[in-house]
Amino acid sequence: MSIPRRTPTDRAAGLALLAALLLAGCSEGRSAPGGEPADAGASTAASTADVAVTIVDDAGREVRLARPARRIVSLLPSGTETLLALGAGERLVGRTRYDRDPRVAHLPSIGGGLDPSIEALLALRPDLVLVFEGATPSALRERLESLGIAVAALAPQDTADVFRNLERLGRLSGREPAADSLGRRLRAELDAVRASVAGRAQPSVLYVVGTEPLRTAGPETFIGQLLGLAGARSIAPTQRGDWPQLSLEEVVRQQPDVILLPQGEDVGTAPARLLGRPGWRELRAVREGRVVVLAADLLHRPGPGIAAAARALRDALHPAAARP
Amino acid sequence: MKAPLRLLGLGAAVLAALLLSVRLGAVGLSTRQVLDAVRGLGDPAAVAIVRELRLPRALQAALVGAALAASGATFQALLRNPLAEPYILGVSGGAAVGAVTATVLGLAARAGWVVPLAAFAGAVGAMLLVLRIAGVVGRALDVQTLLLSGVVVGTFFNACILLVLVFAEPEAFRAAIFWMMGGLAGASWPGTALLALYLAPGIALLLALARALNLLSLGEETAAYLGTPVRRTQVLAYGVASLLTAAAVAASGAIGFVGLVVPHVVRLLWGSDHRLLLPAAMLLGAAFLLLSDTLARTLAAPAEIPLGVVTAFVGVPFFLWLLRRRGA
Repeated sequence: MSIPRRTPTDRAAGLALLAALLLAGCSEGRSAPGGEPADAGASTAASTADVAVTIVDDAGREVRLARPARRIVSLLPSGTETLLALGAGERLVGRTRYDRDPRVAHLPSIGGGLDPSIEALLALRPDLVLVFEGATPSALRERLESLGIAVAALAPQDTADVFRNLERLGRLSGREPAADSLGRRLRAELDAVRASVAGRAQPSVLYVVGTEPLRTAGPETFIGQLLGLAGARSIAPTQRGDWPQLSLEEVVRQQPDVILLPQGEDVGTAPARLLGRPGWRELRAVREGRVVVLAADLLHRPGPGIAAAARALRDALHPAAARP
Repeated sequence: MKAPLRLLGLGAAVLAALLLSVRLGAVGLSTRQVLDAVRGLGDPAAVAIVRELRLPRALQAALVGAALAASGATFQALLRNPLAEPYILGVSGGAAVGAVTATVLGLAARAGWVVPLAAFAGAVGAMLLVLRIAGVVGRALDVQTLLLSGVVVGTFFNACILLVLVFAEPEAFRAAIFWMMGGLAGASWPGTALLALYLAPGIALLLALARALNLLSLGEETAAYLGTPVRRTQVLAYGVASLLTAAAVAASGAIGFVGLVVPHVVRLLWGSDHRLLLPAAMLLGAAFLLLSDTLARTLAAPAEIPLGVVTAFVGVPFFLWLLRRRGA
């Protein structure tokens, strides 16, 4: 991995850590070891023989399980979503506080994905933990492995990683056929989006990843690639890394045709407040109302939502190409 | 002889805090489960939680608390200044520069000991720098010069940290901020054992200096008339107290309040004879940090509240109450 490409994903979650730490008021999801329902995965594992599975993870390490994992905790929201999409939801035994899918709401929370309560994690007796592998890898893996837990480190950075992780998680959870068919379906859906914008003029776009400081997504990131696929020309500089900072002066000079503002529980400045600020007010896109608010949870999680994310971008940028 | 009884009482408090700290955590375990787990019996998850997570962490909390309180008491005596604290010689700033730089450069993942080592190196470097500046600017161990050098170097280190953070990737930024908030979440047996081996001789040395510190707090001239080797005592006490602090900071980040206030609490209660003050401050510091860490781990479980926040929230009201009672 020569160029570290990343998503703000699981890390946007991390940046909210400080606030979350200070605000966390009540104890969520306390649990006692032994209090879990007995191996719910076993009943549905009939399709999978108990054969050993092996993958190489994004830390370059071989992860070997004696049999597909039955008690999984994913510290990456995208990992949780992928397992749910593979029909392996019953193998999840915990969630982070950033997992908002109602299908995992009943599971005990282990805190944040980057700073989980290791004690709460151990109590769930997981046979596989998925951790986020960033440009500066955390010591979390070492710590969990020293406690005897199998760990796979995933670094979902671009669109290709989505399919790679889909295949890996399919293998680790014994859902390979489901992973194959989901992968085929998502590829077809992405092709359809690409085809729907072929030949159309490409609007220039400012995708706002963060406002303090102003950051956008570089061309090698998941978001940067989806923007291209959805028929947009991002004003992100190409040589300044994955999450380049922009000065407002640069933006005013470039006058993007459209401004995309992802909003979610953990990210985003209220559009009204942002767009009223000096500099922003001066942008043609703002004055002419070409600011589109998007769901950050969809766009910042490089998982099975990839096709829906591409469609959301396409619909925002090429309303005429959107088919109901 | 009230002193031995007082120390015995504080020792019992440390033991009680230790038991409570092992008993409580993010995961609810019964007393029975905890007792079994300590002996390695029962649910393997519970055994791992108690033996690999709670026990080393509790011991580390006690060690860090004792080291910070002893170091704070020593600095207050040496500088004859009630605002003196363990970080007065720039140790926390230096440690933060070391830890943040290692994190931002991506060295943190190489091994678990890289960041503590970088923090320790930064802390010792800062301490030597402050002593050197004070030596060049004025008379080496002059109180005023030392205090000002420490403050100036600390401010400079803060600026260095901010500069490094501006160019940090968002992830490294988060990790660095997290380190600076301080806490004991990384405690493990090897680290705790190393810390204990390192702290023991330093703590013993400070206790041996207690009588000399009593004389020094009367003033350097008086101490010299009474036969204290002033210069040697000062150098030794500054060095040992800073090295204790450096190790504590490397293990857990800069945790405020303990080193500043715990010695004052003991002084308000029992006077300032360092033969009692030093051991009492260590025990009280240990018990206080154990209780604070237990709260930090459990109040918002599974999230953790930064330890420095808990020490201030618990300590400040108590200290103000004590001050007012004494004043009245």
